[in-house]
Amino acid sequence: MNSKYFYYKRKLTSSIMMLLTFVAALAAIIPLVFIFYYTISKGVTYLNLDFFIAMPKPVGEPGGGMANAIVGTLILIGIGGAIGIPVGVMTGTYLSEFGNNKFVFLVRFLTDVLSGIPSIVVGVVAYTMVVLPMKHFSALAGGIALGILMIPTITRTTEEMIKLVPHSLREAGLALGIPKWKTTLAIILRTAWKGIATGVLLGLSRAAGETAPLLFTALGNRFWSTNIGQPIASLTVYIYDYAKSPFEDWNQQAWTAALVLILLISVLSLVFRIITRSKYKTN
Amino acid sequence: MKIRTIIAAIFLALSVSSIANAQLQLNGAGATFPAVIYSKWFDEYKNMTGVQFNYQAIGSGGGIKQITEGTVDFGATDGPMNDKQLNEAKSKQKTDILHIPTVMGAVVVAYNVPGVSGLNLDGTTLADIFLGKILKWNDAAIKKLNPKLNLPNATIVVAHRSDGSGTSFIFTDYLSKVSKEWETKVGKGTSVNWPVGLGGKGNDGVAGLVKQTEGAIGYVELAYAVQNKIAYANMKNKAGKFVEATFESVSAAAEGAAKNMPADLRVSITDPDGKNSYPISGFTWLLIYQNMKDEAKARALVKFLKWAMGKGQSFATELYYAPLPKAVAKMCEKNIATITANGKKIK
Repeated sequence: MNSKYFYYKRKLTSSIMMLLTFVAALAAIIPLVFIFYYTISKGVTYLNLDFFIAMPKPVGEPGGGMANAIVGTLILIGIGGAIGIPVGVMTGTYLSEFGNNKFVFLVRFLTDVLSGIPSIVVGVVAYTMVVLPMKHFSALAGGIALGILMIPTITRTTEEMIKLVPHSLREAGLALGIPKWKTTLAIILRTAWKGIATGVLLGLSRAAGETAPLLFTALGNRFWSTNIGQPIASLTVYIYDYAKSPFEDWNQQAWTAALVLILLISVLSLVFRIITRSKYKTN
Repeated sequence: MKIRTIIAAIFLALSVSSIANAQLQLNGAGATFPAVIYSKWFDEYKNMTGVQFNYQAIGSGGGIKQITEGTVDFGATDGPMNDKQLNEAKSKQKTDILHIPTVMGAVVVAYNVPGVSGLNLDGTTLADIFLGKILKWNDAAIKKLNPKLNLPNATIVVAHRSDGSGTSFIFTDYLSKVSKEWETKVGKGTSVNWPVGLGGKGNDGVAGLVKQTEGAIGYVELAYAVQNKIAYANMKNKAGKFVEATFESVSAAAEGAAKNMPADLRVSITDPDGKNSYPISGFTWLLIYQNMKDEAKARALVKFLKWAMGKGQSFATELYYAPLPKAVAKMCEKNIATITANGKKIK
């Protein structure tokens, strides 16, 4: 009797807790569902070929596209990647492979701090360091800000991924008389590169979705410009500008821009999947 | 491997196209209020001449800051730069900064009282509402101005801007002129210490608050009230007449002010003379270096400004701005003629 009582009591507690975790999981998904629902249902009206190949029209004229912003976003994350990826991957490699000293601890700590710094602060830094001396807003300044933002994600993923490489592989390499730098480059990075690529993708996606650091670095551009010395358009800044305008037409286009941004990141991750796909089937 | 080649090809193509892209481009930044007409102007102007004016709406304060730092070719603001700001800019950029008014806009008092339309207000009553001294819609002061309206016994909910803005500047500038108490207790500025009320970010934020809250009163630019279909009050002007905010009544306000316009065109036109003047309106200005270093840019800018003062004005009303009165446009042209490139006059 007594044991049966405890049995049912525990069973009940277990079910209640199960239900609560299920509700929590559901609550975590709901915002995501809403985001997709709203961006797709509101953004799809303007989604046509023109949106990808035409230039923005002035207010009051329907239609037009955001070709300049799509290319601008790609250029910005391109510059960001050119800075963030090498620095991030090399720092990550250094942290896990070369040294176990106070300096490594300091770098790791500072990288973590950097990942917590609000992106707008990085924008202010890029403004002070690049825009003010150059006396010019430019895509380059925006790219530098985004590059800085990518570094912590890429560094930490690289470090963790390299740590997963079995120790025996390192020893095998060294046992064959391969120098350490060659082992790191040809064996360890090669083994870990899929994981590193995922980190790179995370960094690039985060950068593609940033608005704040671009507002006073890349500034924005209503015209076609691929010159990295000039201000450049980006999808996120367009979303910000258009969503708060009083014009219905622009509000609509902001939704479409949001949808295109999500699509762009999805395509990016698809491309990464294809690149990192194994040539050999594992089973 | 193939994909990597494609990516490399794309980047190569982009870098080549950026070399070919050598069109003249001028960059500017500043006030959000005129951003709509500026984007219209610059699109039209690019189609006509091929010159690109890239304007980004970062706010009036941002526009003043950027022209002071020399990171833009021109700036824009809704509240004129004060003498201290002008001196700082001059010491940094070694040139004077010109204020060129481009269009005018009205700030309207939007309200949401079910069953009430055609509300009349005057300056002191408005100031008392925003000071928190008038709390109910059927207060005697409001009733006196609206004898025909059936005002409910509902609480007034005040909505104001939470961010720094040229709209707040025009609104508080007006209240300071019409109410001594407002002037001493709150004063004027792009952001002030509001005695009462809820804050909304941007014109859209305040418009949203007023639209969603019964009994609300707030101030927004005319375009936002019209686009969001919110009722706005007729304001009593200096001549004692209740005036609705229209392009004519705003232009009338500017004409009233044009008579004693200072030569540098930095002027407030709130609470002006004139029978048909709407009292809460203001200019918005482009900020231009009097002496520019790049001659091609200076020439393009002068040409554009002349176009904006003339033909460009015809785009104003459809976008809810009031065009400049002829007299003011004339004064602008005189100031535009003083722009130089490396000390040389521009023809």
